[in-house]
Amino acid sequence: MARRIAIVEDDPAIRANYADAFRKHGYEVSAYASRIEAMAALAPRLPDLALLDIGLGDEPDGGFALCRELRALSPTLPILFLTARDSDFDAVSGLRMGADDYLTKDVSLPHLLARVSALFRRADLLAQPGHTEDIIERGKLKLDMKRFAVAWDGKPVDLTLTEIWLVHALAKFPGHVKNRDQLMAEAHIVVDDSTITSHIKRIRKKFSAVDPGFASIDSLYGMGYRWKS
Amino acid sequence: MRRRLTRLFGLRAKVLLVALVLLAIPWVGYDYVKEMERLLRAGQEQNLVATARAIATALHDRPQLLQLRAPRPGAEGADNPASSDEGGAQRVVTGTRAASEEIGQIIKGLGRAESRIWAVDRKLNLLAIAGSLKQESAAARAAEPEGALAALTRLLRPISAHLLKRPSADFDDALPESAIAGGREVASALGGVPAWRWRNTPDGRAVVLSAAHPIWSGEEVVGAVVVEETTNAILTLSNRALEQLVTVTLVAFAIGALTLLAFASRLSVRLRRLRNEAEAAIDSQGRVHQLIAGSRAQDEIGDLSRSFSTVLARLAQYNAYLEKMAGRLSHELRTPIAVVRSSLDNLKLQELPEDARVYMERANDGLKRLDTILTRMTEATRLEQTLRQSERERFDARLVLEGCVNGYASAYPQRRFELRLAPEPAPLEGSPELFAQMLDKLAANAVDFSRGEEPVRVALEQQKEQLQISMSNAGPPLPVDMQGRLFQSMVSVRAQTGGAPHLGLGLYIARLIAEFHGGRISAANRDDGSGVIFTLRFPLRTVQG
Repeated sequence: MARRIAIVEDDPAIRANYADAFRKHGYEVSAYASRIEAMAALAPRLPDLALLDIGLGDEPDGGFALCRELRALSPTLPILFLTARDSDFDAVSGLRMGADDYLTKDVSLPHLLARVSALFRRADLLAQPGHTEDIIERGKLKLDMKRFAVAWDGKPVDLTLTEIWLVHALAKFPGHVKNRDQLMAEAHIVVDDSTITSHIKRIRKKFSAVDPGFASIDSLYGMGYRWKS
Repeated sequence: MRRRLTRLFGLRAKVLLVALVLLAIPWVGYDYVKEMERLLRAGQEQNLVATARAIATALHDRPQLLQLRAPRPGAEGADNPASSDEGGAQRVVTGTRAASEEIGQIIKGLGRAESRIWAVDRKLNLLAIAGSLKQESAAARAAEPEGALAALTRLLRPISAHLLKRPSADFDDALPESAIAGGREVASALGGVPAWRWRNTPDGRAVVLSAAHPIWSGEEVVGAVVVEETTNAILTLSNRALEQLVTVTLVAFAIGALTLLAFASRLSVRLRRLRNEAEAAIDSQGRVHQLIAGSRAQDEIGDLSRSFSTVLARLAQYNAYLEKMAGRLSHELRTPIAVVRSSLDNLKLQELPEDARVYMERANDGLKRLDTILTRMTEATRLEQTLRQSERERFDARLVLEGCVNGYASAYPQRRFELRLAPEPAPLEGSPELFAQMLDKLAANAVDFSRGEEPVRVALEQQKEQLQISMSNAGPPLPVDMQGRLFQSMVSVRAQTGGAPHLGLGLYIARLIAEFHGGRISAANRDDGSGVIFTLRFPLRTVQG
């Protein structure tokens, strides 16, 4: 059975374009323009993945509210924000609402599709444990790139997809310096330098929450970052 | 220069000029005193004529007194007074002693102090003389007034002495023959008409008023009585008045001028403070500060200050609007661009004819450039947010600089970098990542403007409490009018050529980060005009504990 994706986006052209692209890739798509409309249609039968804009018509934060409501209905439903709002503040709030990832609208369709399929993969694999393929271990770090699960010293670290890709890019070849452009390419994002900086900061913080002594990501000013094993 | 001129013709100078109006007071006063003097003199004239008349009256119809005084030719030649300096007293001796003594007694009886009275017969022979011109007058003897003003007047006397002719008691009071023979008043009196005359003493030190009255004997004039008095008494009085006038004027002028000066000084100090603040209100980087001077004063200067503040506040709003515009624009553009991008991406998924693919590529290229622009535009806005939320940590700016410059070798292989570092560590508080971002912007700028083979020279120096990083490249100098505005949002001196778009945000970002670290950024041309130097200055955080 085809997977069902719900797109909630108030701009009709973008909505139609995304819907077309996903349909072409074999997904079943239902598209909505407002929070009320979406909630009415989705609450009885949850989709397999939700793609939300934040500003919905009259509601500037309608996407956040919708995300909260959907998360309340299902703790496992993959939710992805796709929005024009690119401030750190919005990204952090979106992720706090329980979204799995936060993308700005300058992401290209292939990148978006890659991300969606990665999210589906993760959802699937979370449902059936036991796989051990595609696992990278670097000291205390354990990176499961199939499941998109990260653990540090046996304890899970809750990273978003972008963050996992960044950690993966760094940890794949410990000691190699990755500059910002390389990191962007690996994480399928196009952002400015300071966004990468804040991503790295968030990643460090999340690891530090598990292990206060975490110091495996090295900043090399003017060059980039590297994983210290 | 302009400022010195302003000071020269400043408010204070103008108000002092206005204060000169006060000088009308002494002028009016002087006029008044002079008028009084004239009046007094007229009074003195009347007075003397009256005295002469009274004496003459006493001598009327007593021809025997005068006839006894028949002239003797020998005597006349012997006592020609013109040849003698001893004056009238000698002549009296030549007259008949008994007659002169009688007249002398009558005259003495009628005489007054401070005046000299003499009588002549028709032949101008001096019959009698009494009194002296040198007697001190009652007015002069009168005690001077007491009080602060009088004391000041006495203090000022040495000064006023230069301006006033002081009556002198030391004058030649001789009665020359010329005064008797040549006097118009005597001639007039002998002609039957009373008259008076002002004349100087022979030595010119005093002025003498002499009044003459005929002595009648029946219908015939037999002689004349002359009464003389100096003007010293009047002069003393008028001098005293003038002295007081000078004092009062000086005091009034001093008080008035000082008050005006204080007022003008206060005004000009306030205005100057306002001007300085208004000048400094917009700093070299285009930011606007609030005015403080006179902002609460309830007068015109307060008004001026407040309206300045209003104008500046509007300017600041406009500035903020401009600085935010990039971010807002990019936000607004993002949705339509997403439409274009997703449409193109959808198109790509379809089978396209060969020639359509070329246009596809071009559309994609254009989109990529738009993306770069958008990313750059948001960078500044995002940075501002980051700065607001950033946590500060202590880091060594020297290490960051070293790492960055090493990185530039690979980032800009076409351009060499030359680094000079101070040996000691340079502790700063802030964010090393942002610090590196700032250096990146400056390096990109330096590389873009570099000409020739000269490497970009980077130097870190430590002065006392200050860390100075300079980045210098050979290349075209900055336009003069741009040096201050270079660090504002969306200001660029680059010639618009193809390639990567420039929005003039790089140096703006560098400035934001420099300020976040408590520093300042500035740009200047090299002294010889061969290139440009960007300088960053940070206050050092000395290590505590």
